[in-house]
Amino acid sequence: MTSTTSFMTSPPNPAPRAAAARGDGRLAAFTRRVWIPTAVLALVAVPMVSANLYYQNMLIMTFLLAIGASGWNIMGGYAGYISLGNSAFIGLGGYTTGILAEKWSLSPFIGCLAGGLVCALAAALLSLVTRRTRGMYFVIVTFAALQLLEIVTTAWSGLTGGSQGLAMPVPTWSLAYQDWPFYYPLLALLIATVAASWWVRRSKLGLGLFAIRDDEDKAAGLGLRVALYKMIAFVLGGLFLGVAGGIYAYYTSFLNSAAVFDIVTSMLIVLCALLGGRGTLWGPVLGAFIIAPISNFTSTNLGGADAGPIRLLLFGGLLGAVALFLPRGVLPAITGRLRHPAGPARVTEGVEPPVAEPAETAARDRTHPTGAADVLVARGLGKSFGGLRAVDGVDLSVGRGRITGLIGPNGSGKTTLFNLIDGTVATREGAVTLAGRKLERAGRASRAHAGLARTYQLPRLFPSMTVLENIVIGERAFSLARLWARRTSMAEHERACAVLDELGLAAYAHESPAALSYGQRKLVELAQVLWLDPALVMLDEPAAGISPALCARLAAMVRALPPLGTGVLVVEHDFEFISDLCQDVYVMAQGGVIAHGSVAEISADPAVVDAYLGDTVVSQPTGSET
Amino acid sequence: MTELLQALIFGALVGGVYALMSTGLTLAFGVMKVVNMAQGAFLIASSYLCYALWQHFGIDPIVAALIVMVPMGLLGLVCYKLVIARLERIDPGLTIVATFALAMVAEALLALAWGPNEVGTTPSYFNQAFHISSLVIPRAQLYAFLLAAAVTIALQLIVKRTWLGHAITAASQNPEGARLIGIEPSRVGAQVFAIAAGSTAFGGAALSFLYQFTPDTQDAWLGITLSVVILGGLGSMPGAFAAGLLLGLAESLTTTYISVRWSAAVPTVLILLVLTLRPQGLLTRATRQDAAS
Repeated sequence: MTSTTSFMTSPPNPAPRAAAARGDGRLAAFTRRVWIPTAVLALVAVPMVSANLYYQNMLIMTFLLAIGASGWNIMGGYAGYISLGNSAFIGLGGYTTGILAEKWSLSPFIGCLAGGLVCALAAALLSLVTRRTRGMYFVIVTFAALQLLEIVTTAWSGLTGGSQGLAMPVPTWSLAYQDWPFYYPLLALLIATVAASWWVRRSKLGLGLFAIRDDEDKAAGLGLRVALYKMIAFVLGGLFLGVAGGIYAYYTSFLNSAAVFDIVTSMLIVLCALLGGRGTLWGPVLGAFIIAPISNFTSTNLGGADAGPIRLLLFGGLLGAVALFLPRGVLPAITGRLRHPAGPARVTEGVEPPVAEPAETAARDRTHPTGAADVLVARGLGKSFGGLRAVDGVDLSVGRGRITGLIGPNGSGKTTLFNLIDGTVATREGAVTLAGRKLERAGRASRAHAGLARTYQLPRLFPSMTVLENIVIGERAFSLARLWARRTSMAEHERACAVLDELGLAAYAHESPAALSYGQRKLVELAQVLWLDPALVMLDEPAAGISPALCARLAAMVRALPPLGTGVLVVEHDFEFISDLCQDVYVMAQGGVIAHGSVAEISADPAVVDAYLGDTVVSQPTGSET
Repeated sequence: MTELLQALIFGALVGGVYALMSTGLTLAFGVMKVVNMAQGAFLIASSYLCYALWQHFGIDPIVAALIVMVPMGLLGLVCYKLVIARLERIDPGLTIVATFALAMVAEALLALAWGPNEVGTTPSYFNQAFHISSLVIPRAQLYAFLLAAAVTIALQLIVKRTWLGHAITAASQNPEGARLIGIEPSRVGAQVFAIAAGSTAFGGAALSFLYQFTPDTQDAWLGITLSVVILGGLGSMPGAFAAGLLLGLAESLTTTYISVRWSAAVPTVLILLVLTLRPQGLLTRATRQDAAS
C-alpha cells in the first residue's frame, strides 16, 4: 500500500538532471507517459488487491481532498482568488443528493450530478462578487457563504431535516464489493478534476487566469473579460467538488449540517493546495496525499475530549507554518531545484510547443480607414476625488492616423484623464466616443475590443508568463471558443517571434519579463498593446527613463502607426520627443485643458509657457522626468 | 407598537455591542488593510480571560477588561511581529490565510485549556433590567452599550488626535513617505495591532456576561465582526459603530417578526449583499483607489 501512494507523493521526476537542464519538455513527457499511468493503475488496483477497509477509507478521503484542492487551485492558485469556503460545495452537493434521494428516491449516483450543477450555480453567483472587489473580499465572501449555508440548512428543517440531520439511503449492493462503488467514482472524478485543471493551464483561459493573478486591471485593459474568466475558474472547482460531495455523503450515510459545512474541511482543502504548491498542476494532489493520511491517522488514533482540539492545533499550525515558511509549496521547491540547480527560476512551466491551427489569427493585419474623422472624441470628461477636482470638463479629440501630444505639469490630471478614457476610473461626467462608438458606459474589456489600448508610466507586464505570452495575451474580440484554444497558436507564435525579432528581443521570448531591462519592458508593453491592432493607442510617458537608443526605436514604432490609420495620444514630459512626433498638442494644468494647437502654437502661448514650459524650453530638450 | 419599540431598543443595544466586538478588526482593516481572521478567536480568548478573573478573583468583567487588555495587546504585538509583518513582506495575499490559521490554533488552545462546555460570567447586573412603563432595558446590555460608545470614542481620539494616530494614518496611506519622515511603518503596524487586540478585551468582556460561549463559537463571532466592518465601509470607527447598530436592529427585527432561527443568517446575508452591490460599504463615499499608478 505504501508503495502505491508513493507514486503520487514522489515528485514527477527525481532522476535525470541532464534532461532537466534541457528544459521541461522531456520531464513533462516522462511524467505524462510513465508516472501518471503507473500511479492511476496502482490506485485502480488497491481495492482489488487489498480488502483492508482502513486503506480504502483513507484513499476515499484523499480523493475527496484532492478533488477539493485541485478545484480550489483553479481559482485560488491560477487566478489568485483564495477561498476559505470551498467545503460548502461538499455540503451543498451532499444535501442536494440527499434531498433528491429522500423526496424522489433518486439514486445518489445520479443525484450527485445535480449536486454538482447546484454547486456550479452557487459558484457562479458567488463569483459575481469579484466583479467589483478583489482579494481579501473574496475570502470574506466565501467564508460568509459557508456560514450562511450551515445556518440555512439548520433552519430550513422541512427540507433538510434541520439539526436532526438527513439520512442517506442504505446501499443495496453486495457487501463483497466493499466501498468500491464510492472509491471508483471518486477516483474517476479526481482524474477528471486534474484533467480539467491541466486543460485550463494550457488554454487561453489559463493564461488569462495567470494574468488576473499578476495584474487584473491590466488584463482587463487588454480586452480580457476577467469576470467571466473568474466565474469559469470558480465554477469548475465547485462543479467537481459538488459531485464528489454527493458521493461522499452517500458514503458517510448521514448528513449533519454542522459537520458537512465545517470550516475545518475548508481549511484542509486550502492546506493541501498550499502545501503541495499553489498554482501548480500536481501540487494540490500531492498535498492531499500528504494531509489525508495524517488526518486519517489522527482521527483513528486520537481519542477523548481533546482529540478535536489537538487535530485543530496540528492542522491550523501546519497551515500557518506553510504560509509563513513555505508559501510556494513543496512541489515548486523540489522541481525548482531539479530544473534549475543554480540561477533564478525561469518562467517556462507553461511553455509547450505551439499548435498549428488554421485560425483567423493568422492574417490579422487590419488597417483602420484613414480619413479626416476623429478616432477619439472626449467631451466634458470630469472626475473629483473627494474635494479634489482631478479632471475638470476636458474636451479632447485625436484624429485618425495622427499623433497627438498631451503635456502638462505633474499632477495636472493627465494620467487620470487616461484612466477616465480607458475606464480604469469610472465617472458620470462626460462622454467618450471611439471610432464612432459610445464608450462612456462600457467596461474596460469592451473598450479594448472597440480598439482602445494604453501603456503605463511604469510598464506593467505579467511576471508569471513568458515575454512571448505577454505579447499574445491581448484579446481583440471576445469569443468563448477562444478560451478553449491553446495558450499560443502556431500563427500567434510565429507572429510574436517576428515582433520580438524586430525589437531585437527574440532571445528573451521564453524568459520572464523580469529578465528585461526597464526600457525593454517598455518596448514589450508597446508591442503587447499593438497586438490588439488598436484604433487608438494611449502612451503614458513612453520615453521616460529609457536610453536614447531605445527611445529612438520606440519613436520609430510610434511613427509606424499613423500610416495604418491608428491614432496615438501620448503623454510625455520630454518636449523634444513630443515636438518630433506630434502634429498637435494639448496642454493640461490643474485638471483642465489650457491650450491646444500645433507644437509651434502652444510653445508660443504665454499661458503654457507660464504653467509648464518655462521661458527657455522651446529650443532645448528638457530631458525626462518621471 | 411596544413590540416594535422593544425590538428597536434590543437591536440598538446589541448593535453597540457588535461594534465593540469589532473594534480590533475595524482598526486593523481601516489603517492597515489587513483582515484579521483571528478576531473571533481573540474575542473569545478575551472572554475566557475575563471569565478566569471573574471565577478566581471575583473581578467584575468590565474591570477585568482593563487587565486583560495588557496580555491581549501583547498577543497582538507578537502576532504582528511573527506573522503579519513577515507575510506582508513575502506574500500579502497569504496574510488572511495565516490569520485564519492563527484562529484555528487559538481555538484549539482555548479548547485544551477550558474544554468544550459553555461558560459565562454572572456579575450582579447580569439578568437584571430597568423598566420604563412596559419597556424593558436589560442592564447588562445597557452597560455594554455604554462601554462600546466609550471605547469607540477613545479609539477615534487616538487615531485622530494623537501623534501616534497621525503616524498610523501616514504609514497606512504612504509607507515610503512615512519612512522618509522617520516613521517606521512596521513599528506603527505593531502598535496598531497591539491597540487593536488590546481593545478586543472590552468586546470580550461584554461577550462574557451577555452570552454563553465555547471556543468553537469563534467563527460565528468572526462572521458578525466581519459583517460590521464590511457594512461600515473601509474601517472607520464611526462607520463601524453605525454598522453595528444597523446589524443589531436587523437581527432584532428578524427575531421579532420572522423567526429567531433565521436571525443568525442576518450578518452573513448582509456581507454577501453589501459586497455584491456596494462593496465600499453602506456608510462611506467612494475614494480614490488608483493613486499608485
